[in-house]
Amino acid sequence: MRKIWLIIKREYVTRVKTKGFVIGTLIVPLMGIGFTALVIFLVGHQSNQSLRFAIVDNAGGIAPVVVGGLDMKLPSGQPTFVVTETIDRPQSPGAVQDGLRAKVISGALDAYLLIPKDLSQPAELHTKNPGNYALFGPLTAALDQALVEVRLNARGIHVDDVRDIVRGADLQIIKVSKQGESVEKGQTMGVAVAIVILLYLSLLMYGIITMRSVLEEKTTRTMEVLISAVHPFELLAGKILGVAAVAFTQFFIWSLSLALLATYGAALSAMAGTGATLASIHIPAGLLAAAGVYFFGGYFLYSAMFAAVGAACSNEQDAAQLQWIAMAPLVFTMLIYSMVLNDPSSRASVILSEIPFFSPLLMPLRISLQTPPAWQIALSIGLLFVSIVAVIYCSAKVYRVGILMYGKRPTLPEMVRWLRYS
Amino acid sequence: MDAIALENVSKSYDSVTAVSGVNLRIRQGAVLGLLGPNGAGKTTTIRMIMNILVPDEGSILVLGEPVSDKTRDSIGYLPEERGLYPRMQVRSLIVFFAALHGLSEAEADRRAREWLDRFELSEWSEKKMNELSKGMQQKVQFIIAVLHRPPIVILDEPFSGLDPVNAATVKDIMLEMREQGSTIILSTHRMEQVEKMCDSICLINHGRSVLDGDLRAIKHSYGKNTVDIEFTGPDGFLTNPAIASVNRFATGVEAKLKPGADAQEILKAAVESGAQIMRFELLEPSLNEIFIEKTSHA
Repeated sequence: MRKIWLIIKREYVTRVKTKGFVIGTLIVPLMGIGFTALVIFLVGHQSNQSLRFAIVDNAGGIAPVVVGGLDMKLPSGQPTFVVTETIDRPQSPGAVQDGLRAKVISGALDAYLLIPKDLSQPAELHTKNPGNYALFGPLTAALDQALVEVRLNARGIHVDDVRDIVRGADLQIIKVSKQGESVEKGQTMGVAVAIVILLYLSLLMYGIITMRSVLEEKTTRTMEVLISAVHPFELLAGKILGVAAVAFTQFFIWSLSLALLATYGAALSAMAGTGATLASIHIPAGLLAAAGVYFFGGYFLYSAMFAAVGAACSNEQDAAQLQWIAMAPLVFTMLIYSMVLNDPSSRASVILSEIPFFSPLLMPLRISLQTPPAWQIALSIGLLFVSIVAVIYCSAKVYRVGILMYGKRPTLPEMVRWLRYS
Repeated sequence: MDAIALENVSKSYDSVTAVSGVNLRIRQGAVLGLLGPNGAGKTTTIRMIMNILVPDEGSILVLGEPVSDKTRDSIGYLPEERGLYPRMQVRSLIVFFAALHGLSEAEADRRAREWLDRFELSEWSEKKMNELSKGMQQKVQFIIAVLHRPPIVILDEPFSGLDPVNAATVKDIMLEMREQGSTIILSTHRMEQVEKMCDSICLINHGRSVLDGDLRAIKHSYGKNTVDIEFTGPDGFLTNPAIASVNRFATGVEAKLKPGADAQEILKAAVESGAQIMRFELLEPSLNEIFIEKTSHA
């Protein structure tokens, strides 16, 4: 035990002291916070600006209806659209347009809307900033509505309020769970996908770190001295636990900064008056705990395989070729996870999320969508644990033989044969 | 009690037999030269003694006990392939390995300073391994092999890459350890080092021990069948029928005599041929010669 502890300590200390760790752990979240703050600030700032524009109505009678449809407000209470003037059927459209263009260029106006005489032709919005899509949507809708209204009137259909008739239906999604009901705005899906991707990336990253660490001991020939002092299994166990401790440290710092970000970000967005978009994403503590459990389960499973691959190879190139052995199940999970996302309680989803190589990603996904029965979670954790023991047992055998082998890259059948070596 | 006792030890990998029926006894306090051509099975033998590999057959005792993870801690090992964590600081690296061998970190640190001082590496102790020259790295590796004062030390080519001053320091330390009762296994291809350092040898070829025992006794058993001749001038006398084989050097030759041949005949022939003899010495065969004979026949 003492030797394992020494190896964990060395692995942890040397890894945490590297520049890569400091950058990855501290600077990435700081950049995240910085960018979020910047985006919130910019979005809040930008959406506080009303779009000032003029309407040239060559058809006649449409402009007032359009204006009526543009009654939305900015978070600050200011109207989103300010129509400075409407020009109904101008005598000399060319001159009017020249005048408006000058105003747009001088900044007195943001844009002007040109409604054609022949309504089958497209309307035109002349603006200096054609990238402001957020404002074009409502404008198009208002124009749409105005045209429908005018055409209905022209056909002699009397409608008091056309808008009421043509308004489309809205479907509000409400998530039902034991905790009650909550209005769904896509956050469940977002959190679920984010969890799968984060788990995938973390498992891959820490697996490869473990592999490279083993490989480094081999390529630098440090292994020769190490195995004269410790049993290969102690070495393997110490390595995996050491990298796990690094991962734990990194996650701890990250979740701390995430918590800060949530509080600080919410305060910031409240200040900017954008309606707290971040605060509306609520990640239950239970889900975080489950993600943690499955991450470390998955980490032990995959890093043991990555370590065996590292031990079997003698250089980076060979390892890059052979690492598919450990990566394949992870990548496969990423190919099928949308199936579980669409129907988390289907038989296929339930079965897939019980299979140890997939469960570290798929079970947290299911938990985040709709809490599966407790027995399914318990079973998947049990199966995961059993396979961790089995995989570590096999990996340790491959590792034991591999660390002494130099030269040709072994094939998978050769590695399987190593399992039988005494 | 023997420091190490191998009895009928065999080990194969897949279809390749690395070691086959090796018997070897090393007395405590002895310096044994473990010899053999490349690929003869020396490293496999060493790894079995260290419990890194498990023999297919036979038994290995270290200090009277069957090999185990515990007996491994009584062995210090300097592998032939050198290398240590390149980005670790020299002293913390030494302390790490000493702690793995069971020393407390405080004691390991104290001894590390002592040894670094002895090898004139003190000012490098905070540097990273990859900032050191090859020779310095080698010294660090040697320190790691001996710092925990193991009763048995296995040194694989300990002098390679060392300048004469450092080689002398390593040699002195080896002699010191022997005086303190340590058992040393020296694995090397440098026969003159074995002749100077070792009491006994074990020569392994094709996985078998072909020659082992006391070095003096082995050499004595060959009798004085070799003449060492330093000369200038014509070398036609070397074709004399009494000479079995000739090993040429810059200043002369080492000639092996046929059984029953008279060395005086050769001296006479050399003088008559007009060669200027500086030295003519009748000797036991060198270990080098014994090595070549034993390994080229097999």
